[in-house]
Amino acid sequence: MSNSQASSHIPDLDLITYYSENCYSFLSMASPWTKLIGLIAVILILTIAQSVELLVVLYAFIIFLYWRSNLPIRKLFDWCLLPILFVLSLVILLMWNEPGVLLFSLKLPWFSLTLTDNGLLLLIRLLLKALISMTSSILLLMTTKYAYLSAIIYRIFPFPVDQIFLMSYRFLFITLDMIDSMIRAFKSRGGGFIKNMSRQSQAFAEIFALVFIRSYDQAERVNKAMESRGYDGTYTTSTEIPQMKPIEYTVLLAFLVAVAYLLLFYNSSILR
Amino acid sequence: MKKYLDLVRNHDFSEPHELIHIDCASHIYPDGSIGIHELCFRVKENEIVALCGANGSGKSTLLEHLNGLLLPSKGNIYVMGKKINLTTKKDLWKKVGIVFQKSDDQLFAPTVLDDVMFGPLNLGMKKLEARDAAMEALRAVGAEKFINKIPNYLSGGQKRLVSIAGILAMKPKIIALDEPTSDLDPKHAEIIEHIICELKGKHGISIVLATHDLDLAARIADRICIVKGGSIIAEGRPSEIFYNINLLEDAGLKEPKVVQVYEALCKFKGIEAKRRPVTVEELVRSL
Repeated sequence: MSNSQASSHIPDLDLITYYSENCYSFLSMASPWTKLIGLIAVILILTIAQSVELLVVLYAFIIFLYWRSNLPIRKLFDWCLLPILFVLSLVILLMWNEPGVLLFSLKLPWFSLTLTDNGLLLLIRLLLKALISMTSSILLLMTTKYAYLSAIIYRIFPFPVDQIFLMSYRFLFITLDMIDSMIRAFKSRGGGFIKNMSRQSQAFAEIFALVFIRSYDQAERVNKAMESRGYDGTYTTSTEIPQMKPIEYTVLLAFLVAVAYLLLFYNSSILR
Repeated sequence: MKKYLDLVRNHDFSEPHELIHIDCASHIYPDGSIGIHELCFRVKENEIVALCGANGSGKSTLLEHLNGLLLPSKGNIYVMGKKINLTTKKDLWKKVGIVFQKSDDQLFAPTVLDDVMFGPLNLGMKKLEARDAAMEALRAVGAEKFINKIPNYLSGGQKRLVSIAGILAMKPKIIALDEPTSDLDPKHAEIIEHIICELKGKHGISIVLATHDLDLAARIADRICIVKGGSIIAEGRPSEIFYNINLLEDAGLKEPKVVQVYEALCKFKGIEAKRRPVTVEELVRSL
């Protein structure tokens, strides 16, 4: 696992893959199809649902699943920072002057800012949606072996998207390792983040350029190695995905019925 | 006249027991740099040939010609009696496998088993057949326990074993290995060395080895070719080549440790330099 990450708030791909390969919780044992359908159902809820209560319950449920799967909960909260900042950067402009009950008002000479209950709920709703989608995706990634994920991608995505996915994931590690070793070398010679802003920006631009060039070289070499084994433009994966068990069908059906009920009946009767 | 020229052009100049015959081939890269220059080379059945040379001498370029990844700008290459051109190079990968210097370039699949099955599937094998071939190859190199692992989590030595299995699964007649023991710890280097010997001994595969590790070449190669400036400047048995210090120096190489020890013994202890040992066993016997 990489231990010289640029920031602990960036999801660590190595750690995620480590858990996916070495975690033996009930979710890891479940069929990848079950988890994928579950994730799609969650995304469906996020797309349609506006109820903050429903989103809070869903988030609590996903956090519960994450905790029951023996995954590192503290790391998850570290990784939340970026989606939170992302949502805040968008909503910070949209949340003001919404119609509703006034909570806060600021009068300036040329305009006034008012925060209403609906403005605040908009912020909370979008934050919850971002956190739910991030947590449920990480939950899927951390409880599903990479071989199964790639086999699913191969089955459901059309050509050439499946090929791009199949090959890019492995090289993501190599590229991350490359960036990691460059940053180490950069730091080992006195480079840092806050010493001299213009110098640092230049150094990071150089690192980015080097990563780009090296990745291109790497791609050329990989293509050569694949051609030398008869690659003709199509790559197939041979991994068999575990099938869903009867209990998984039952649980999934119950979940989907609950989702349908919530979306059709419950959503309209609660706070929007 | 045209008929005669065609006959000469398509004539197989290689000897019957020759698997590869390179006849004065040159390769110039698009940027004008010379990869190989008027290079003549041959590989016979069931032999290990070591291409020894300094960095940038043209060893890797030569290996890529053997597999059809590159075609010579000048000269001819014959593999198992067939002249290699744009048409025939397409099937060359079935006969000549190549293990690249950096295993990360070669291992791209999500799992080890998927990666080793890649070649057999391209050969047209059915999934089960390809799986059997892959398992057999992984067992042959002692890497069957890694089948479900992600290549990223293997050590350098384990990656190299899997890379060799990926080629062995295609059952080629010749395997070209580019610096097979570079960057490896001594234990894994020894394992790889043992496997190379087994590829020849058990599987009857001819090996072309590009290396600047002359100790390795001395231990396992039947024939040594010294490469310099894209050409083979000398060729012979290890005992002939590795005692030619001027030749090695000219090629930017240094004689194997055993040769250094033996020559020192001859010089300081007054031992008669007759036997020319190149391996530790030969050195012990010669004393």
